[in-house]
Amino acid sequence: MNIQTTDHVTHPTGVLYTRCTVDLKTGKYDIVDIPCRNLEDVLGGFGRSFQLLANRSVDKAYSLENPLIVNTGLLTGSCTMTGLRTYFSGYSPIKASLQGLPAAIWSTGSGKFGAKFKWTGLDELVIENRSLKPVYLVIKHTADGPLPVLKPADHLQGLTTHEKIMRLQTDYENAHFAVIGPGGENWQNVFMGSVALSTENQLRSGEDKCRFAGRGGMGSLMGYKNLLALVAQSPDQVKPLSDAVKRVNINVVKGGGSARLQPIKRGGGGGTWAAYDVLQPFHAVPINNFRPAGNRLPEKLFRENVEKEYYVESAACFRCGITCHNNILAKNSDGSRGEFLAKFDYEPLNLLGTNLGIHDAGQVASLIRLVDNYGLDAISTGVTVAYVLSYNERHSQQPILNGASFGDFSKIRDLIVATGNGQLPEIGHGCMRLSQQTGETSYAYHVKGLELAAYLPETNPGYAWAIAGGHMSMGTYGMLIREGKSDVDSWVTAITKDKLQIVGFDMIGLCKFFDIVNGIGTEMVVDSLKSQFGLSLTEQAIKDAVYRAFLRGLLLERKQGYGKGEYVLPPEVTELPNQALKTPNITSHQFFKELSNRVWQIFDRDMQALAKAEMI
Amino acid sequence: MQVTIRLHGVFRIDRFKEKTIDCPSGTQIRDIVEQLNLPANLLGTILLNDSFRDGDALLKDGDTLVLLPILEGG
Repeated sequence: MNIQTTDHVTHPTGVLYTRCTVDLKTGKYDIVDIPCRNLEDVLGGFGRSFQLLANRSVDKAYSLENPLIVNTGLLTGSCTMTGLRTYFSGYSPIKASLQGLPAAIWSTGSGKFGAKFKWTGLDELVIENRSLKPVYLVIKHTADGPLPVLKPADHLQGLTTHEKIMRLQTDYENAHFAVIGPGGENWQNVFMGSVALSTENQLRSGEDKCRFAGRGGMGSLMGYKNLLALVAQSPDQVKPLSDAVKRVNINVVKGGGSARLQPIKRGGGGGTWAAYDVLQPFHAVPINNFRPAGNRLPEKLFRENVEKEYYVESAACFRCGITCHNNILAKNSDGSRGEFLAKFDYEPLNLLGTNLGIHDAGQVASLIRLVDNYGLDAISTGVTVAYVLSYNERHSQQPILNGASFGDFSKIRDLIVATGNGQLPEIGHGCMRLSQQTGETSYAYHVKGLELAAYLPETNPGYAWAIAGGHMSMGTYGMLIREGKSDVDSWVTAITKDKLQIVGFDMIGLCKFFDIVNGIGTEMVVDSLKSQFGLSLTEQAIKDAVYRAFLRGLLLERKQGYGKGEYVLPPEVTELPNQALKTPNITSHQFFKELSNRVWQIFDRDMQALAKAEMI
Repeated sequence: MQVTIRLHGVFRIDRFKEKTIDCPSGTQIRDIVEQLNLPANLLGTILLNDSFRDGDALLKDGDTLVLLPILEGG
């Protein structure tokens, strides 16, 4: 970023970002500095990319008009802790309106690729058209600025995500990588391909420890473009910490925001895996396609039980003090660390474990690793497989696919392998399309075409307004169980004001664990921006920018044909209330209708005002 | 009076899963939290007889108190 102003709220054009556009058809590229239109452009991520997407007319995700936008946030690669995010945006192969038009989507992950990308001198990469042959793109930092070079990628074809990264590492020193797996390569039959991002730990240890931008099929879009990998090659450019940023980082590590995610041995809660312990007393851990039965089966994957047989190791991203990862390793006979098996985060653990009726930690670890290696979104894959199992349970005489049932590890594994190899479009195209084929849509757990995360919709009606999938673009998933809120007033305020602020992290370059409850409109972020860029911002100005970016997301959904009737939860939730849940019912027809009416009153008013102001 | 306390997640480490304790009338939930030395920054949901409450609530004989760590997404 080239910052020539301290007042970029009223003078955003005084901040310029560097965009490289690469045409995969011609191999040509150009690099330009572009003045920011508004604070959303300055912050970056989807705040900027969605403004570009809004100006495109795209009726098929797999079309030459659909760009893949790779960008960073203002704090990516900065000294502010967790500043490692890379964003991938485009029109989604998997998320689509009932009119069949693709939705705009972004997906994000950490790892070190984002920082390296920023350090090459680029803020944004727009990939146009598609290549006729498999290629990868190297962006190299040079004395004259960033230099992009396209190279043949035949040698990378068919390799897993981890194999691609390790292969590229042999050719590029001081570089990090963003790659797709066989899932993305088989884009015709896989709409849920992820992008894997390399980590320092992975490159150093050789262990399979990528991070993933999973949601929305950005890996499949990359596959369609025949772009198998990105390489960002640059020396590290870590600057000395200012006192202000030191204070911020200490607050991130020791403040309340990340306490739950810190390792248990440091007095923390033990990462996202610990959600199991909190949800189970309410019988709210998804099991067998989001239908908990009030039993104790989820407890088999409680950490205390897994630790009896496996070694659990805490780890962190590059220069991050939160240490939220829980790596599962085999335990040697003397109790020491054995082979790395998988990383247990709540979402993949549940959606590839308990929600499939699999309660053995070793089996779940192998499925997580399989999905990661194939470069599939763990959430979309797990939920769509759960739909298949649920269908087969209801139609035991005429099951679909290989007849897999809940808990049948071997057959479930076969389904995932076949999906990753592009042999099962029924799963690869996601549960919305599969349920439309079977005619049984009520228990397909998606909203607006994108599979739900591992929080029961009965506890989170806010899902309906999430714009980039599940809970991470609408932070209402803890409103009921964490905050005990079951009144419409609280939910309207949360959805339209407070909890949508979570998407600010998908602009600025920070991980949500920086301060997941409060978002980015905080003193910590204000101090970071002032200290590192000389920018003077208020907390409210940041919140306003996040809100406008969110509204643009809703406007883009409308542009792509979404009607209000699609902002709903899976019908089973209302039609067949789960009596096993020990939570107040906040998804009755009456509750949701009132919530929806009131939420839309606010969003409609503000979307109209924004559209008028920008003449959308 | 007697109150039954159930702990979940990391709160069980070096403590207990469920225990019935004696406590004087006028005891608030926060008194129990302090007594058990539960880290304040990890305390999330508090259920008193299956209803959501905060630390100010007074306990009475026969109550069941459930203390859960804070829920964070991921």
